[in-house]
Amino acid sequence: MKKVKTTFKVNGKPFELELEPRRLLVSVLREDLGLTGTHNACDSTNCGACTVLVDGKAVKSCTMFGVQANGKEILTIEGLAKDGDLHPLQKAFIEKQGLQCGFCTPGMIMTSYWMLSQNRDFSDEEIKRMLSGNLCRCTGYYGIVESVKYAKNLMSKKGGDIE
Amino acid sequence: MSESKLLVRGAGKYVDDIKLPNMLYMAVARSPHARARLLSVKGGLNQNDLKAAVGGGGEGWGGLTNPALAHPVFAQDTVNYVGQPVAAVFADDRYIAEDKLDEVEAEYEKLKPIMTIDEALLGEPLHAGTKSNFIMQRWLGTEFEDPKSPVVLEDEFSVARIVNNPLEPRGLIADYDGSKLTVYISTQAVFSIKDGLASTLKLDESAVQVIQADTGGAFGSKSALYPEYIIAAYAAMKYKRPVKWIESRSEHLAASQPGRGVRGKMKIFADKDGVVTGWRGEVLVDAGAFGGSAGSMSPFFIGMQLTGPYGIEKAHVLATAVMTNKPPQGPYRGAGRPEAAFFRERMMDLLADELKMGADEVRLINTTTENFKSPLGLEIEASRPFFGQAVLDLKYKEKSKSDKAGLGFFVLLSAIWGGESARIDVQSGKINVWLGGNQHGQEHYVFVKKLLNEELGIPQDIVTLNKGDTSMLKDGVGSWGSRSAVVAGAAVVAAARKLKKQVESKEGKYTVENLLRGNYSSEVYENQNVQLNSFGAVLATVKIDKFGLVNVEECAGCYDIGRALNPKMIESQIIGGTMQGIGQVLYEEVVYDEEGNLLTRNLFDAGLPIAENMPKFTIQIVEHPSKMPHHARGLGEAPTIGVPVAVVRAIERASGKRIRHTPVKPQELLK
Repeated sequence: MKKVKTTFKVNGKPFELELEPRRLLVSVLREDLGLTGTHNACDSTNCGACTVLVDGKAVKSCTMFGVQANGKEILTIEGLAKDGDLHPLQKAFIEKQGLQCGFCTPGMIMTSYWMLSQNRDFSDEEIKRMLSGNLCRCTGYYGIVESVKYAKNLMSKKGGDIE
Repeated sequence: MSESKLLVRGAGKYVDDIKLPNMLYMAVARSPHARARLLSVKGGLNQNDLKAAVGGGGEGWGGLTNPALAHPVFAQDTVNYVGQPVAAVFADDRYIAEDKLDEVEAEYEKLKPIMTIDEALLGEPLHAGTKSNFIMQRWLGTEFEDPKSPVVLEDEFSVARIVNNPLEPRGLIADYDGSKLTVYISTQAVFSIKDGLASTLKLDESAVQVIQADTGGAFGSKSALYPEYIIAAYAAMKYKRPVKWIESRSEHLAASQPGRGVRGKMKIFADKDGVVTGWRGEVLVDAGAFGGSAGSMSPFFIGMQLTGPYGIEKAHVLATAVMTNKPPQGPYRGAGRPEAAFFRERMMDLLADELKMGADEVRLINTTTENFKSPLGLEIEASRPFFGQAVLDLKYKEKSKSDKAGLGFFVLLSAIWGGESARIDVQSGKINVWLGGNQHGQEHYVFVKKLLNEELGIPQDIVTLNKGDTSMLKDGVGSWGSRSAVVAGAAVVAAARKLKKQVESKEGKYTVENLLRGNYSSEVYENQNVQLNSFGAVLATVKIDKFGLVNVEECAGCYDIGRALNPKMIESQIIGGTMQGIGQVLYEEVVYDEEGNLLTRNLFDAGLPIAENMPKFTIQIVEHPSKMPHHARGLGEAPTIGVPVAVVRAIERASGKRIRHTPVKPQELLK
């Protein structure tokens, strides 16, 4: 299959790859770049475990071809911790039991990251609605919603971590 | 770094995150038919390469009395469910492996499938050489004459099949070096996988090592040995290259051995005051196309639990499993316990309505003030003290007036039989621990560190709980059946006490310093051959809109967990299990058409609850110590047992319609 030159940034780092057009972005991230924090769990855009940010928007990376990321900036779960310091969302997910098995967690955190980057207050109902594209089979979501609220608090105390 | 710190960074190592040099990817060609003769198959590895049947052990293994019912690794001359493995292809790249599925040519002659329990009972046998579609049938309890009680109630119930759907699908890597097979796998039970692979592939047990990768949930679906595991191992040995197989979600839905799928006919006798004087039951399990799976033993397990926490003196139950053209039934969180509770508690509600008694009163009058052994073989502790208090704590009377609440009582029987192993090594001031059954989201490391701190006085930060690895322990069982904190916990305590004795005999006296300056290793296999109860009570309230859509408003529960070793995780497991219970009642089902085609094609169809489905949770933890050395009781499956019962009753009261099955569809509730 003919490959297509694709350039994009992932977690601030530029990449130039020759990609088969059919390869999904999630496969490119996981297999070509070795960024295995983005998980693949449903192949059908139902579960959100593969959520990343593409130019600041939360996108399920199994719903996009790698070549469609040409010229874009991608942020994955590996890009959140700065100098070894966990992002407030990551701290919050530990503190508020936002996870059990951890498989949905990177996607949950990336969707939540997008939510918090909107720079406004969400009600509990809005948080639940925005997380409804991300499935978790372990926690029943309660700990995840609590984590998002707690992270919001942590960040407002520190003056905000999300630019 | 703690486990969860790795996981929130995306730095876990799930099996699909592991890459070995020169690795092949496997894709599986599957039957498109529910039942057909397989006239020929060409391409990839298939029945012409490997003629073997799945052997096994552990939770997913129900035993096999008739070899004709064994699940073939590759379909042999017939196929018996949509999704059954027929051939496997291999390539350097996952996408190319998928492409190569086109090279498999299979010719089928379709046969009429058997898709329901009734068809299985009446229809021709699925398998050649068998006389019926029964896998097992046996009576439990003792025959009794109808009591001369004024109230006699009969009804019939069913629970649909549900796919376990952990977020991480099944998967493994098999690697063979010419003499030893090493398997990295997402699993609940490394030893079951090792034993099963060794027996199926006729390898010496010492030639198989199974290592657990980080495991992204399971809910029962990752303890059985599956045909795909055997194919990957066989291919690794044949091609002398590591082989990775990661299932797609559609494969998980079609072929991962889903749970439930059970029918129950109940007949009870009772006095005017609500005391149940006799219980007759028939349990029918849709065990799927082959024997050997959990479906082969689940009718018995459901049957023995039918009287639950009640002191019912007479009971007689016929437990039956039949074969249909669906994947074999496996364990799904609760694995028989939720079915038994559903049948029983539905009858208790029927009785309450018949006698115009409160649902709490009719239940409480049947609880016991002493330890009780039921005619079906279930041993329960005195249940009235717990349930009497639970009804008050749940404010049933009060809430029942305004909101038409539903109530459920249950007893969780932890699967502590078989025991568990633990090993503790001390070297260079560090403590390393291995367990026979390992975490896949439950944070076993928390109770391990806590118990070692209590037993040995050692700081928690020098203790590492390692992943499951069959080379590190002589034997082990697995993490399933609400057992780990109980039996793996007891094994950790026993291994710690043994370690203490080793230090005493070497140093004269145990101190933390004496322990940490030496090199020690202590391994135990602890087996407590008793029945262990965890009581629980759940209250639910619902609202139903004009479209029949049910919104669960509150789920409150009292759970006796013996001793809370990890309170945050306990709360999280109760909430997670509550959502699975709600899922069973309102959304989740695997649907086949009459031809046996699978209509449930993705996670959306499968009906997993979403964040917006969350009710208000009220959780009360009761710590009534068990007889285990560390006083723990089982928890994991508790909410999936109690929640469906309470939610169904709340729906019944809010809608005025008798509910006899799950899931409950909105159209059934329209006025």
